[in-house]
Amino acid sequence: MHADVSHAEAVRLLVNTRLFWIPLLPLIAFVILILIGRRLGSLAPWLSVAALASAAGLTFSIAKPVFDGVTLSQRWDWLSTTNPAWSIGFAVDGLSWLMLFVVTVIGTMIQLYSIGYMHGDKRFSRFFAYLSLFCASMLGLVMADHFLLLFMCWELVGVCSYLLISFWFEKPAAAAAGRKAFLTTRVGDVGLLLGIFLLYTLVGDLRFLHLDIIRASLIESGKGGYLTLISALIFFGAVGKSAQIPLHVWLPDAMEGPTSVSALIHAATMVAAGVYLVARSFALFTPDSLQIVLVLGLVTHLLAATVALTMTDIKRVLAYSTLSQLGLMMVAMGLEARTAAMFHLYAHAFFKALMFLGAGSVIHAAHTQELGELGGLLKRMPWTGGLFLAAALSMCGLPFLSGFWSKDAILLAARESEPVVYWLLVLGATMTCCYVLRLWFRCFLGPEAQASAAHGGHGKHKSAHHASMVGAPSRADTSSPPRSHGAPGSVAHESPAIMVGPMAVLGIGALIAGLAGSPWMGNPLYHLLGDHHAHEHLDIPLLFMTAGILAVGGGLAWVVGFKRRNLLPEPLRPIGRLAYNLAAHKYYFDELYAFAIIRPFLSLTRSLSIFDGRVVDGAVNGAGRIGWFLGQWEERFDRTIVDGIVNGMGAVAQALGGAGRRLQTGYIQQYLLVVIIAAVTLSVLVQL
Amino acid sequence: MSTQAVLLITSAVFCLGIYGILVRRNAIGVLLSIELILNAAAVNFVLFGSARANVHAHAFALFIIALAACEAVVALAIILALSRSANTVSVDRINLLKG
Repeated sequence: MHADVSHAEAVRLLVNTRLFWIPLLPLIAFVILILIGRRLGSLAPWLSVAALASAAGLTFSIAKPVFDGVTLSQRWDWLSTTNPAWSIGFAVDGLSWLMLFVVTVIGTMIQLYSIGYMHGDKRFSRFFAYLSLFCASMLGLVMADHFLLLFMCWELVGVCSYLLISFWFEKPAAAAAGRKAFLTTRVGDVGLLLGIFLLYTLVGDLRFLHLDIIRASLIESGKGGYLTLISALIFFGAVGKSAQIPLHVWLPDAMEGPTSVSALIHAATMVAAGVYLVARSFALFTPDSLQIVLVLGLVTHLLAATVALTMTDIKRVLAYSTLSQLGLMMVAMGLEARTAAMFHLYAHAFFKALMFLGAGSVIHAAHTQELGELGGLLKRMPWTGGLFLAAALSMCGLPFLSGFWSKDAILLAARESEPVVYWLLVLGATMTCCYVLRLWFRCFLGPEAQASAAHGGHGKHKSAHHASMVGAPSRADTSSPPRSHGAPGSVAHESPAIMVGPMAVLGIGALIAGLAGSPWMGNPLYHLLGDHHAHEHLDIPLLFMTAGILAVGGGLAWVVGFKRRNLLPEPLRPIGRLAYNLAAHKYYFDELYAFAIIRPFLSLTRSLSIFDGRVVDGAVNGAGRIGWFLGQWEERFDRTIVDGIVNGMGAVAQALGGAGRRLQTGYIQQYLLVVIIAAVTLSVLVQL
Repeated sequence: MSTQAVLLITSAVFCLGIYGILVRRNAIGVLLSIELILNAAAVNFVLFGSARANVHAHAFALFIIALAACEAVVALAIILALSRSANTVSVDRINLLKG
């Protein structure tokens, strides 16, 4: 190091080398666990937890320069090319750091929780190996400084998602759900890849740090229209990963995986990667493409919320709620409120992960996830119930909890730019309160239901026949781990400390994490993300609006969702029933896809298979038969003509030899006679 | 005695020798016939040598006598070996050269 390097520079150089280790540690844990995990036994998860916790420690250790506004980066040449466009590396700015924080902290908590949740599973260490791989790829994804590296990690998290959704692959529903998730996100990935191709063809530079320059140069050279196309394609990738309409169908089915996977991958981190991608490549987005983002986000937000109102499976309610909240983040992106979107992502990660863990705890204890079979759990599981309530209220936006600040930031952005969007978001927020409180009421209040209670026919939503992509039943039974704790009908009990502890930590996060973006604390989150337009004061009208939303939503949840009273006046009831059925069947998206895409595709493949069997095979077999036929003739030719010539020559030689043999009598006197006759004849001839 | 008469005699002896080779069954007889041919030739050498006063021809006659002696030795040895191994000296019963 040169003497003239300043102190700050020196710190930066020292810090940069740490970046590499953040994704590497979980990766090392993955390698160890996948190779000798079985032998480690009950130590296996602790290795995984330790790796991720160390990554969290590293994340905190680089916090100071990041908060000072420095972008840390570490790069290396790739494929031994010296073209700077292909030198990939890691870069951590405020945005990446926020994601690092979310992934490492929440990931560590969820891994700790999984130790209790997955206890006794026969592929215990394998589960943690996959979780470690997922964390490594997710950390790589958020630190990537290059579209290509991001795409690699993007696919890796997709693979991990597939592996973990179908972790209990003995269940056909889980295997089908994994396949569906993988294939559906792949559709979006094609869009992302096309966007990357287009960007590379136009500019030849894929580094995130250069996006501003790329945008300026494209607009300058009159190719601004391409920006819309590129950003729309990138957004399409985000639509697949973040499960926005129309590619949302995989996320509800992904609930077949273990609940802690749903919490980590399908609530807190991986599905948020789409939002992160939009935030990361925000410089490429134009007003036109932001319009697309806004509309799709809004549609997802509202439709998913209505579906969540009707679902009767805890995890599916939460899945649709995740869809809805991701839609909300996309709305914020579309409103150009990038910071608000990331803020909500951050807050949502805490409370939604906690809700999933709470749901997992309920399933762990009660062995069912049907709302109709649950109730009155608060007495039995006070910790789970209380923490779940904290998360629910945070999500509803109870003033001064995490969700309040992040949701308000989005609502404020909407109110300032698009009043229509604002009122639609208010509607969405009301539904959010309604479904999440309905979930809580029905789980934790009311008469205590036995886990083995008779399956009530009412309101029981059987999705088995239409949720799967390939026709296999989507939910054969509950997603609870395939093992039994005690006899059916045993009384539910509180989960062990290893599960409640991490939930408590996340509960604290769900309550206070939002303060990082509140004006009370001076908006450190906004500064971290380089946004200096934070609101200085609490917006009082919005506070009342949020409280009103909570009151209305909570009231509806109590009256309609919990007490099950139909508030609609008599003449409107048919319409209400129609709307309910529509939402309860998830707007028939699965059926539509099955009808419009999967069935035609399958029949196409079937006819192609027939074509293959008849025409292609026929041609091949025909060619073979012709060859065989020709071969027969050639063989005959060979045998008669060629062999005939060879054998004939032999026979001639034999015949000649045989004839010559006769001359050779062995009687020397005969030889001599011939000689004498010849000599006489010759001498006579000479005389003549 | 004129040259012509001598030539006739030697030719006759030569032809007798050829005939003897061709028809004799006994190997000794064949050997004798060969001797006849050699002697016919030797007599012819002597005849032309004295007619032309050429001493080389006489030398050839002596040479032929020596050769005949050698030949008789070798031939008799072969015949003896033959009679031992094949138990016969009859030429037409020996066809080892048959192809």
